[in-house]
Amino acid sequence: MEINKLERYWLIAVGITLGAFVAATIVAVTVFGIRLPAPVERIDPQRLDQTIFAKPGVRKIADNRYEAVIVAKSWAFDAGPEAGNPAVLRFPRGSQVTFYVTSKDVMHGFQIEKHTLNLELVPGQVARASANFNRPGTYHIICNHYCGAGHQVMYGVIIVE
Amino acid sequence: MASVTLPQTFEAPATPTTLKLAKREQVMIGAHIIAALTALMFGIFMGPFQTFHRSPTFVQYFPTIPVFTFYYQAVTAHGVMNALFFTTFFIIGFSYFVTERSLQRPIKSTPMGWAAFASMAAGLLMMLFVLLTGPQQSAVLYTFYPPMIAPALFYIGLVLLALGSWLASANVFLTYRDWKREHPNERVPLAVFAIIVNFIVWCVATVGVAIEIVFMLLPASLGLLKVTDPQLARTLFWFFGHPLVYFWLLPAYVSWYTMLPRQAGGKLFSEPLARVAFIMFVLFSVPVGVHHQFSDPGISASSKGVQTLLTLIVSVPSFMTAFNVGAALENAARNRGAKTLFDWPFKQKWNDPVVAAQLTGMVLFVAGGFSGLINASAQLNATIHNTSWVPAHFHQTLGGAVTMTYIGILYWLLPAIRGRALFSKKIALAQVFTWLIGMTLFGLAMGEAGLQGVPRRALTSQAPYLTPAGAFWLDVTAVSGIILLISSILLYANIIGTLFFSRQPMPEGEVPIETVSGDRTSPLWFERWGLWLGILGILLLISYGPVMAEVLDFQEGWNILRFMPTSNAPMP
Repeated sequence: MEINKLERYWLIAVGITLGAFVAATIVAVTVFGIRLPAPVERIDPQRLDQTIFAKPGVRKIADNRYEAVIVAKSWAFDAGPEAGNPAVLRFPRGSQVTFYVTSKDVMHGFQIEKHTLNLELVPGQVARASANFNRPGTYHIICNHYCGAGHQVMYGVIIVE
Repeated sequence: MASVTLPQTFEAPATPTTLKLAKREQVMIGAHIIAALTALMFGIFMGPFQTFHRSPTFVQYFPTIPVFTFYYQAVTAHGVMNALFFTTFFIIGFSYFVTERSLQRPIKSTPMGWAAFASMAAGLLMMLFVLLTGPQQSAVLYTFYPPMIAPALFYIGLVLLALGSWLASANVFLTYRDWKREHPNERVPLAVFAIIVNFIVWCVATVGVAIEIVFMLLPASLGLLKVTDPQLARTLFWFFGHPLVYFWLLPAYVSWYTMLPRQAGGKLFSEPLARVAFIMFVLFSVPVGVHHQFSDPGISASSKGVQTLLTLIVSVPSFMTAFNVGAALENAARNRGAKTLFDWPFKQKWNDPVVAAQLTGMVLFVAGGFSGLINASAQLNATIHNTSWVPAHFHQTLGGAVTMTYIGILYWLLPAIRGRALFSKKIALAQVFTWLIGMTLFGLAMGEAGLQGVPRRALTSQAPYLTPAGAFWLDVTAVSGIILLISSILLYANIIGTLFFSRQPMPEGEVPIETVSGDRTSPLWFERWGLWLGILGILLLISYGPVMAEVLDFQEGWNILRFMPTSNAPMP
């Protein structure tokens, strides 16, 4: 079986293109530190009161570092009574926030506008991801996974001051 | 080529390549194509109305949208009918045709063919019943993730579709085995080689979703099972969900590789490399499903990394196709007088709807393919995951390359089935180009909206979080929806016209298919399917072994279905 010269060049070009994609993926992890979600813990979504999700809310853990514990349910993000409904979270500029989120009923999504934070909320699984808020502004938390008739009104707000 | 003795029962056409169909072909293949078009009719017209539903401006001026007032039910119908039923019926009908004509023998068993058809048709009727008249709990979308559970008929319809498709696959495999026994030292024609590949991919992939439906969803729907594990279900679904797209794409490649060169007036550049591309699809179509789950919490980053790499590799056979088919098209244009470096794309038969439909599909596939590479890059996925960028991508691939190629096939196959000329070539051309414009605009606007954070499959016109930029792009999708609605109407006008009102006899023509055996330069060991399945098995072990271990989480024992109560889809 012979491979035509032009076709060989083409295949080399394809190899280089894909190599660039692989390199970019590796750089994204090592240089920019963009991590994909990974297993944290399994929990029983009917017994959230026995877990950290018993009291959702935001906790300061160090200077400019916060932890936010949020429960998604049809159709709201519960970030504690202080945050209200729809939940409004306020962070000073330059904060790094680690989100712990789970769903207590069906599948939900958790995406923060203009930030690379995008989680599938699978009942029974704790999802964890961090975001840096360096630009002041108002950003929506959007449920981007279909969760029933009220899916489109499920959101929250992050205000970076 | 060795002369072939046709079995007595085969009512052979006058010559093997004449387009005039024998009666039994007409009935069997016709039944599949008509069923496919029935499913598509329910699916395709849902699409434009979803863009209207999602556009804030459109809803402001037309608060009541007549078709499927519950948006999520329309999304479900659009996905299930287009992506699962239309494609499966069409692919099986087309595969029978290709196999019979290429191998010059009937499919192994006609009764088995009808049993397969009956099973799939019963599935289609059940699904239509539950979608159209059933409770709105059937709005679980075509990905049907638990713990949302639809009525049992929804799952039974899918099981019947799968059962029928397996019977059809077996029929094609057995036909090929018979041919191979008679021609041990010949290469099977490329078209049939690809059809075999496609059904192998399908049979391996459907194992995942079959386990999900039979052991998790259907029992839950019947009330036999009160718990489920959504993470496991998602993993099983995407084990099926990504190879599914290759199951749609490969028949389009069959047309591009084995029919389009002749239709366009040229010849294929390299037959052996086409086979290499198809073998790569056997190996790499399946072990890539986790790239739909980059944002899932239950799967480790390293498992996701492995499948990122495999996903990038599965783009290689498509790049090879671009070169090979591109070279065939250039050859066609040179035969038609193209002289310069860049004039050959314009010297194509753009006035022939069969060719033009496939070419527009390819144009859309360029955008679809590259957006796919972006999606496959694990970290970029965090920007676009579950946003409207994703439907933008698969409307360029499935709604572009696949659908337009199927429509191109339809424009010669439907007249052959009916025995009459296509109702109107002009309408067909108008349909092709309105589709190209509409789908280009749709892809652009949905992609831009996705980058603005607009989620997919959400009734965004009611969403409080919609930004002005997001709203603008959604309004643009409504414009593309109008164009695509016109195109869909033109398509069905032509179909109904050809079936019922065409008075012209079918023009003399040939099936654009190679009936001789394959190129002598292709090694015979390309057809050692056991070898390819063995390598696929190893790749699956590497790619899905760790994933399943993480999802099943053996540390906590083997009781995998321990957590989640099932839940009915919430009523509107």
